[in-house]
Order: sequence, then structure tokens, then C-alpha cells
Amino acid sequence: MEVSLPEAPLPLLSNISAWYPASHFGAILGPSGCGKSTLLKVIAGIVPHTSGSIFWHGRNLEETDLPPGELGYVPQFSCTQPLLTVRENLTYSARLRRCASTQEMSDIIDQVVEETGLTELQDRRAGVLSGGQLRRLGLAMELTTQPSLLLADEVTSGLDPKSEEEITLLLSSLAQEKGRLVLLVTHSLRFLDFYDSVTILSAGRLIYSADPRDLTAYFNVATPEGIYPALAKRDAGTWAEEWLHLPHPPELTPTSVLDEIESEIARADEEKSSELPSFPSQASTWFFRRLKLFLRDPAQVFLQLSLLLVFPVIVTLFAYRGLPSVRNMAMSADSGVVDQLREALAFTIQSSRIGTLVSGLAMFQVILLALMGSNNSAREVVGDRSILEKEKLAGIRPGAVLLGMTLFLSFLVFLQSLWMTLFVRAVCQFPGNILAQFLPFFMVTGAITALCLGISSWSSSSEQASLGSLYLVGFQLPLSGAILALPDSLGTLTRPFISAYWAWSGYLQTLRDTRFYDLVRSISETPLSSYSMALWILLIHFGLGLAFAYFGIRRSQWR
Amino acid sequence: MARRAHPTTPSKLILSLVIGFLALAGVGAYFFQKDANPFRTVEKLNPSDYYENANSLRGNIYQIEGTILNSLAWNPEKGRLFSIRVTTGDSKNWPLPILIPSSLRQINIQKNQTYRAKVRINDSGILLVEEVQKS
Repeated sequence: MEVSLPEAPLPLLSNISAWYPASHFGAILGPSGCGKSTLLKVIAGIVPHTSGSIFWHGRNLEETDLPPGELGYVPQFSCTQPLLTVRENLTYSARLRRCASTQEMSDIIDQVVEETGLTELQDRRAGVLSGGQLRRLGLAMELTTQPSLLLADEVTSGLDPKSEEEITLLLSSLAQEKGRLVLLVTHSLRFLDFYDSVTILSAGRLIYSADPRDLTAYFNVATPEGIYPALAKRDAGTWAEEWLHLPHPPELTPTSVLDEIESEIARADEEKSSELPSFPSQASTWFFRRLKLFLRDPAQVFLQLSLLLVFPVIVTLFAYRGLPSVRNMAMSADSGVVDQLREALAFTIQSSRIGTLVSGLAMFQVILLALMGSNNSAREVVGDRSILEKEKLAGIRPGAVLLGMTLFLSFLVFLQSLWMTLFVRAVCQFPGNILAQFLPFFMVTGAITALCLGISSWSSSSEQASLGSLYLVGFQLPLSGAILALPDSLGTLTRPFISAYWAWSGYLQTLRDTRFYDLVRSISETPLSSYSMALWILLIHFGLGLAFAYFGIRRSQWR
Repeated sequence: MARRAHPTTPSKLILSLVIGFLALAGVGAYFFQKDANPFRTVEKLNPSDYYENANSLRGNIYQIEGTILNSLAWNPEKGRLFSIRVTTGDSKNWPLPILIPSSLRQINIQKNQTYRAKVRINDSGILLVEEVQKS
């Protein structure tokens, strides 16, 4: 098997060939940067290989991938929710990955908790666990589906010697269950006796893959600690060629055949019991987990409440005594020319003042709602990306994630737009149909939230997502033409993409039967769209945002 | 076939989706245009033709869009007579007489307000409003 990148002069992994039996604990060792983690990611399917094949129980994984429940992958970084307890982390993880009744689910969690030694810690929040405890939790989350292939990437790195030994022992015991193959990537040469086999890589080449007891003899060193210095003395290619030309033991021995059979039987049992939950079930689990996380985070609740309550108040500061009344011009032409001109002048001044106020209040509400929308979702995907990637590997459908997120965000959007409509209308005494006024606000908040969700799903960092979302909102006001009219051609070109323009237009259309509408029309050169057209375009923006977000969630973005 | 962890999205799919959304937006825009101008199927009145020979246009139905200038007369049975300024493409202003019948008395007409109306030219050569809305 080979893995190369177009921009890299040398392949990341070259000419790698290894075979592992069932009920086996294998270590992948090597100095930093030798390709250990890449190899594990290739086996998991996270990194595509350039040539060669990976077989699992006789299946080529490029043709038929591992069923989600059959693969457990524990990354080096923590993939737990710090605000949830150990048990909650495990429960949500299990619910996203397998079908089971509440009692069965509870039994599974109990078993996994006991197996990984987390019984005493199950009510403790993940955020306060030590490094070793977090690694245990990471392992436990993978064990909820009882995978027959468990891949652990540097899960013992950075741990104190006692924790490192405990985790290695735990992995060793897990390899004895149900014909499971456990592969651990590590650079540590301690506890070699725990492994059934050791695979050593250097500069992307396979140097050794056999029994750990033969290791020191092969490298002609007194202790395992002498292996890395010995590796450095010769070129990796020379080591690899030497290993290739050695006679290797046959891959199937009577013992390994028995293990394979046992593993096949166990796997068949597992496949029956580890069907993926349905799409709605995964979506509702994601939604309830998100809701719990939101309610557990006082800072987030406080920020949302502050925006919800303060933003409408800011709008009303400009018309807290209500909208001014409009004085109409006399219809008759009986008065003198001077009087008529004086009246026309007064009307123009009034139009300018009241029209600007009404148009500004409408746009101000829209922009603040857009800001709330961007705040709702700018970090929604990117903030949880590592967890999302792992859950996708474990079988969650991107559409279910999107639906779960959309349900949660819909609550925020509904509350924000409803309160803005009601509060500003009540204080400023806006006339018009209340439901008709709520709809453009609801749609624009939803559209901006969906578009920012899309930005979040395509961003590689929270900062990038926040900046992108901020730009999206920042451009709404100048390009809407509500404050300053754009040149005709530019306006025609930009307006279809500016959600704020459609919400502003739609809202002003609800004032059509009032004089306020006429005054806005008299001061604004920007044409207003019809109400139904405004809602339609906002719906399109919302749909585009969701489609954009779906593909962003779906694409692989492992770090 | 790509493995689960690195799914590939065909660019054709994304392209068709974008085209689909644009088409949806276009179709919607076409239908919702009706709301913007409910009289779009009615021929626009050419004020110069009207000025030249109003009698020849009697009985015809047109749409006009203009700004109310003054109230000229009022009769509780016949309705309200206004002068309305219609601006043509060459930026010329044309004052026209427009009669809003008493059946449309609920509409609040104000000076300097712009309206769009479906009118019939009656026997006296006056524009008799059949339907009217703010533009």
C-alpha cells in the first residue's frame, strides 16, 4: 500500500504490507513523523491510500467499507463534550450509533463503564477528567458498539507512566474479547511484552512487523530503547529492503484460523445487534444533546438572552414615543402659489424625517436579527468538528446532524424574530398585520442562520467562521440599498443575494395601506419588491444555506 | 467507491443543485411578479395619444401609474375627480383627469401619493378607475 500527496516529493507511506489476525493486540511504533498515525488513518478510511488494497475478513474495504459499528477509532485528541457527564457522553454516543431499548442501552453503558474502569466517574463532567480518564472515556465511547476492529492513535501519549500502563493493559484485555483486533499507535517502547505484534515504521517505510520478543535481536540492540538510535544509523529504505527479503512466517496458522472463525461468528452476532439508528432517531439525539449542551453553558444562555432582550430595546430608542403622525397636503389648489410651495416644502421635510425613520427602523431590526442569526450558527459546526468527524465515522448521517442542528437553531430563530416583532411593534406602535410582519423577520433570521451554518461547516477554524459570518452580515446593510441607493445596474446585480433587502422590502409592504409606506417610497430610490416575492427569495436563501451546510458537514475534515 | 470517512461529492451534483436553486428562484420570481403589478397584462396608456384624440380611445381599458396632483371635484354619487401626473419614459410629465367612482370610496387618496390603476376611458374622455392600488 502506498500513500502520497501531490504536493509532497516523497510518499507518506511506501510499500507497506502487513497482516493481523483476530484477537490480536498490535502496536505500531516508530519515531515522530514516520507515518504511524497516517497508517492508522488509512486503515480507518480517514486518509485515502494512493495504491494498494486493505482487506478486512476477505473484503476489500474500497469496495465494501467496514460497517460503522465494526470500527472503533480513538483519536489522540479528546472527542468528548466537557459539559456532559461521563455517562451522558456515553449515552448520547451509543444512541447515535446503535438501536436498543432504554434498558438495553443502560445495560450496554453499565458494561462499558465497568470494562473501562469509569464506574466511579460516571457522574462527573468530562471537562474535569484527567488526561488518562479522558482517554478511557474515548475508548469507552468506541466500545458502545463492541467493534471488532479498534484503532487507538497515540492514546497513551502524554500520560504519566501509571496511566500509560493502565491504558495499555486495558487495550490488551479488549483484544481478548470477541476476536477483536486492537491496533495502538505509540512511540513508546515501554510495555512491549503486552503486544502480540509490533510494527515499526521509519520515514514511511515498513521496517519490522513481527513478534516483539524478536525485536532486540533483529535490530541487534541490548534493550528496546536502543532501537530508535539503531534505526537512525541506516537509511529507512535499506532497513525496509532488508525486511522485505527476509522469509516471513505463513499468515494463517491453525491458531489464527480458529481465531478467524471465532471472530467471524462474533462479527455476525454483532452485525445483527448493531444496526444503525434511524435517520429521525439520530437527528433527535443530536438535537437533545445540543439542547442539553446549550442549557449547561451559562455563558451561552446569558449571551443569547442578552441579545434577545437588548437588541429590540436598542431599536425602540429611536422611536420610544411611537411613530410620529403624518400631516397630509391639502388636496385643493385654491391657495396661493407661495402657500402651496410652503406646504410642499413642509411635506418634503416631513417625508424625509418620517420616511427615513420608518425605513431605518425596519432595516435596523433586520440587521440586528441578522447579527443574532450569525451568532446562532457561526460556530455550530466548526466548534464541534472533531466530534462530528468521529461520529460520522461511527455512522451518523450528515443529514441527521443537519436536521438536529436545524431543529435546535429554529427555536432560537423563532424566539428572536417573534420578540423583535412584538416588542418593537408595541413600543413604536407600528401599524399593519402582526403575522405578516413577523414572517419576513423570521425568514431573514432563518436565512442568515442557515447561511452562517454553511460558512461554519466549510471553515477550518472558529475564527474563520466568525469572520466569514461577520462579513456576510456586514455587507447586508450597504448592499441592500435601504440607506443609500445603489446605482441601478449594481443594485440589480446584488439585490438577489442580499437577504436584508428582501426582509426590509417585505416588512415595508406590510405598511402599504399606511402613509408611512408612501413617505418611505418618496425618500427611497431603491425599488421595493412585492411581499410574496420577498418571502420566496428568503426561502431560497434559507434552502441554499442548508444545502451549503449539508455538503460542508458531509465532507471530511479531520485535523 | 470512496470509504465512509472521505466521501466524494460529484461536482455535477453541486452544479445541478445550484442550477436547481436558480431555476426555483426564477420560476418563483416569475409567478410572484404578479403581486408586484396585477395589471401587467393590461396595455399601458400612452398620454400623447390621449392628448391627441381622447375620443378615439373611448371604451378602451389601460393601465396607468402616476402621482396625485390635486382634487378637482367631488360628487357623492359619481365619485372623486383628481388630476394625476403620469411620467413617460422620455421624462415628460402629463397631467390627466382621473375619476375614482363612489364604489371605491374606501381608498384613501392623498396628494403626492403614487398609484397604479386599471382605467377605462369613458364617453366624456375621462379616465374612469376600475381597480387601483398603491404602487
